[in-house]
Amino acid sequence: MSHHKLEVKDLHYSYPDGHKAVKGMSFCIHHGESVGIIGANGAGKSTLLMLLMGVLFPSQGEVCVGDVHVTKKTLPMIRQSLGMVFQDPDDQLFMNTVYDDVAFGPRNYKLDEKEVEKRVLNALELVGILHLKDRAPFKLSGGEKRAAAIASVLSMQPDILIMDEPTAALDPKSRRKVMELLTSFKHTKVITSHDLDMIFEMCDRTIVIKNGEIAADGVTSEILVNAELMDACGLEIPLALQNCPVCGITKV
Amino acid sequence: MANIMNSLYNMRLLDDLSRQETVIHKLHPLIKLLTTVSYLTVVVSFGRYEIGGLLSLFLYPVMVFTLGELPVKPIFLRILLVSPFIIGIGILNPFFDHQIYLLGGIEISRGWVTFLAILIKSGLTVTAALLLIATTGMDRLAGALRMMKIPRIFVLQLLLTYRYISVLMEEVARTLRAYSLRAPRQKGVHRSAWGSLAGQLILRTFDRAQRIYEAMCLRGFTGEYHTGGFKEIRVWDLSYFIGWVFFFAVARMYNIPMLIGSLITGVIR
Ligand SMILES: Nc1ncnc2c1ncn2[C@@H]1O[C@H](COP(=O)(O)OP(=O)(O)O)[C@@H](O)[C@H]1O
Ligand SMILES: [Mg+2]
Repeated sequence: MSHHKLEVKDLHYSYPDGHKAVKGMSFCIHHGESVGIIGANGAGKSTLLMLLMGVLFPSQGEVCVGDVHVTKKTLPMIRQSLGMVFQDPDDQLFMNTVYDDVAFGPRNYKLDEKEVEKRVLNALELVGILHLKDRAPFKLSGGEKRAAAIASVLSMQPDILIMDEPTAALDPKSRRKVMELLTSFKHTKVITSHDLDMIFEMCDRTIVIKNGEIAADGVTSEILVNAELMDACGLEIPLALQNCPVCGITKV
Repeated sequence: MANIMNSLYNMRLLDDLSRQETVIHKLHPLIKLLTTVSYLTVVVSFGRYEIGGLLSLFLYPVMVFTLGELPVKPIFLRILLVSPFIIGIGILNPFFDHQIYLLGGIEISRGWVTFLAILIKSGLTVTAALLLIATTGMDRLAGALRMMKIPRIFVLQLLLTYRYISVLMEEVARTLRAYSLRAPRQKGVHRSAWGSLAGQLILRTFDRAQRIYEAMCLRGFTGEYHTGGFKEIRVWDLSYFIGWVFFFAVARMYNIPMLIGSLITGVIR
């Protein structure tokens, strides 16, 4: 199915203050792939995602979803097939109840209320917070908020799921839960993070970004063990792959 | 400063209250809106010296408070929040209007009577508006406004402003907390920090509001705010409305407290 393809050609973007955040990125993500985008703070990951979603428009180059260019005109269509979970769930949850928040997307697509309810309950069930549906989002814990934010995107049944640092600021159990949840999502996934252990577990392919440029693009298990590359990009080898300080077993 | 922050965090109290399920909450939003509008109209229509007649209108908020099982204190605090404005508007009356007015044999300046009337009227209108939000919720209220064919853009403006207030308050609370943690011995914010604090606050809230708006757009938001379906208006809803309107009309036309008073004195004689 080619309409789930996500292609970026020679993408450039400068912020209004003149800061060049993205400098000539090109890549193509195919249907069903799960891709990790890693890079130090300020490398341009969030900016890249904003460009993919059409929140920002590139100053040069283009983004294609399927065979459609992302432009102002095609946005409504594009956004039905792309779902993005923000870095800060507080930005995404703004209604009075979790239920209304998750229903926000489907209602905007004018589904009838029965279908909306079905989708909302489904999504909440999937992320395991059905019991929180009548609570106020701003009163949830970090992990619950994240789950609610993910549900609010899943209820729109996107073909491609885009997530900005999904495990940031989560405790180990919540992090594990979010990871399981994402693994169960079988469509195309694009995940940015500097939680390299998560990327190592969840993504087959990794794109490394450094100062707005692509430093490497390839199979995760090859890229993440490349100590030199990681170091140059302000990252380090995932803990799971590092030598064990307690038992002294050498892994790499 | 902990006090300010607590009350700020309670900003969304009205939203919380609106999720209860009492007789009042279950009424159709449109009915509640219309009842409130007629109430406001009647309250405002009273003349400058008619304090007596106004008193019977206290019945409405009292009933809604009771039936809606709303806590009096926090809502009262919110009314106090606007009281400086009300007092500011009314306070000049006693100075300009020195005519003598006889109230049960006691001579008082008419200026004070008008001041009191303004105070009561504003108090009642603000209370009625808060009660409407606390029993209906902003989202459903917006739906009701749309049913009344109020243009989409106005309703949206209202909703987003309401959202923005809580965003702003949260940022205020965060900023103040960060400040007070690093200036522990201080009462309030030192004036040397006011400028940068306020500036930061505006930039940050703009930023957040922007991101929230983007998140809305990403989920297919095009300007129409859907709040789910509405139930139909039941006979009970209608009778609630008609009952109140009848009461308001009677209260407007007759001075009920005086009637009751003369009735009682009449019986005693
Ligand atoms: N609104 C903005 N205006 C100007 N520069 C920005 C803005 N947002 C981000 N930047 C800059 O763009 C670069 C990339 O930011 P970002 O994409 O958020 O990084 P990441 O998500 O990888 O941490 C950073 O150097 C940052 O300072
Ligand atoms: Mg980021």
